[in-house]
Amino acid sequence: MSRRRFPLWIVLGVVLVVALVVGSGAFDSTPPTAAQRAAAIERGIKCPSCEDLSVADSSAQTAVIVRAAVRQQIAEGRTDQQIEAYLSDRYGSAIVLDPPASGVSLLVWVLPLAGGVLAVVLLAVVFARTRRAASLAPAEAARLEEAADVGATPGELDDRRRFLEQSLADAYAEHRAGDLSDDDYQALRRRDTARLAALDLRIDALASAGGGEAGTVGGVATLERDEVAGDHGDGTVPAGAGRNGSGTPGTEVDGTGHPGGTAASGSAPTPRPPRSRRQRLLLGGGVAALVAALVLVVALFAVDRLPGQTSSGNVALSRQAQVQQTLAQAAALENENQPGEAARLYQKVLDGQPTNEVAMAQLGWLEYQIGVQGASTSLIADARAKLTEAVRLVPTDYAGRLYLGTLLFEQDGNAAGAVAQYQAFLAADPPADLLTQAAPVLRKAYAQAGVPVPSQVPAG
Amino acid sequence: MAIGVLVVAAGLTAVLAASPSATVAQVQSTLVGKQAPAIAGPTIAGTEFSLPKAPGKFIVLNFFASWCVPCQTEGPELVTFQFQHQASGDASMVSVVFDDTVAAARAYQDGTLGATWPTLTDADGKLALDYGVEGQPTTFLIAPDGRVVAHIVSPVTAAELDQLIARAKAVGA
Repeated sequence: MSRRRFPLWIVLGVVLVVALVVGSGAFDSTPPTAAQRAAAIERGIKCPSCEDLSVADSSAQTAVIVRAAVRQQIAEGRTDQQIEAYLSDRYGSAIVLDPPASGVSLLVWVLPLAGGVLAVVLLAVVFARTRRAASLAPAEAARLEEAADVGATPGELDDRRRFLEQSLADAYAEHRAGDLSDDDYQALRRRDTARLAALDLRIDALASAGGGEAGTVGGVATLERDEVAGDHGDGTVPAGAGRNGSGTPGTEVDGTGHPGGTAASGSAPTPRPPRSRRQRLLLGGGVAALVAALVLVVALFAVDRLPGQTSSGNVALSRQAQVQQTLAQAAALENENQPGEAARLYQKVLDGQPTNEVAMAQLGWLEYQIGVQGASTSLIADARAKLTEAVRLVPTDYAGRLYLGTLLFEQDGNAAGAVAQYQAFLAADPPADLLTQAAPVLRKAYAQAGVPVPSQVPAG
Repeated sequence: MAIGVLVVAAGLTAVLAASPSATVAQVQSTLVGKQAPAIAGPTIAGTEFSLPKAPGKFIVLNFFASWCVPCQTEGPELVTFQFQHQASGDASMVSVVFDDTVAAARAYQDGTLGATWPTLTDADGKLALDYGVEGQPTTFLIAPDGRVVAHIVSPVTAAELDQLIARAKAVGA
């Protein structure tokens, strides 16, 4: 009985499309807030003074300026496109990380998609040809085989025979494994069995003409026809396959489509002729282009990663990206209360980039906290040196300013000095959560210094 | 194949030969050839400064930081340039603090360098944004009619600035 199975590629395609649609957030009905819009735009804008970071990932002065500009533009009611145009006017079109979908840059978007469409067409053509070839009527297949065998040497015929036998064996194995439907298997089997029969006739004719002994063609040893027969009734396929020595083609088909012990009916040989070099190139190119297009589509529609997450499969991180990843891992370890391991990673960053202000500030802050806990004056002194260096390296580094201010306030009782640092911290537009976290110590320092607490600092 | 390689090599040679030699790192800026964005704001001396849209003389607009080593390298050259053009009045310096504190910038400009020209604080980064500044030092040469004629992203010398001015004058700036 013929089984009709749902093609696997359709299932995979449906799963892919559903995943992309769901992952793209197309069903999110809530409009983004101004902060969400700003965050999304900032992720797509290059930090002007950085190698390959967005302004969202950088604390450089240029990034701070661009972030402030983005937020101001949003507040003024500009669209995302207008904001990108505003920044492009000032920094050039390269400021936008995604190339524009116009002009020459349009090719970046169009070519992969066109390649994908072409790949699908190519694959469809190749598969259609394969199916058409498989569905040839046995008589037609035999006729084609005879035409192809004209002029072939006995050795070539023997090679071809072995190939057909192996192909039949492969088809049988695929059928048993469930990779080939009953209908397809039957079609392939009928076709190639007919071809095999035609081939045997040709071989026998050559042998008769050349006066060779049975079982040989022009002195070339051939396989025994009996071995072409079926699977011995137990569903297994003999390892070898060939012609019988009588010269009678073993090409009977039992009509059920199952190997049935008749000559050539179940054994190995199979249908698919070897793919030509051109076919292989077409197929390989099509698959490669399809994969590339799929990767692009996934990259385009997948939801943005969370901070610190890496994109799967990205093994070619740039040096700067590796540093950012290490910093993110260190920050995560800090949050997990593993200061020792976090300090090791920060130090690793500093070993490679001695002027990395983020690692400098964070390591200084860790040393300060550990120094306070252990009452270690040397650690606190070391922390002070690192924090001072961090704000010297990048005066607008808000974290360094916050940490140094806190050290000055808590260790030296220097409220005025601390407030100066906190003012720089606030001027650097720190993230809201850090501001909330720091608010108590800020209010205390401002109060002690006799300076009004800025409205930017959340009330206690 | 060989002919193709030869054609590409010849093309590259022609392009390189036709390109003007660069003594300073000038870059293709979106601003070059356009009207310079407004230059106005408080200075490190606590005064207000505003440059007319058509200043009537060449203006060298320099973004700097006191801690930036290349800026420290070019600082004396800028002082020389200002001194050489002070008498004729055909060119003048304007500096903008970028990525630095006002106190440090003031200490550098007044104490270390002895700069006599206005230095804007640009506390909100508006000037840096309007000029698309990506780092320091960054220098723009503005023509007397207010058009930007050069954008330089490396330390510049007085002689190089004079060359740029001469080139701008030659094309009618």
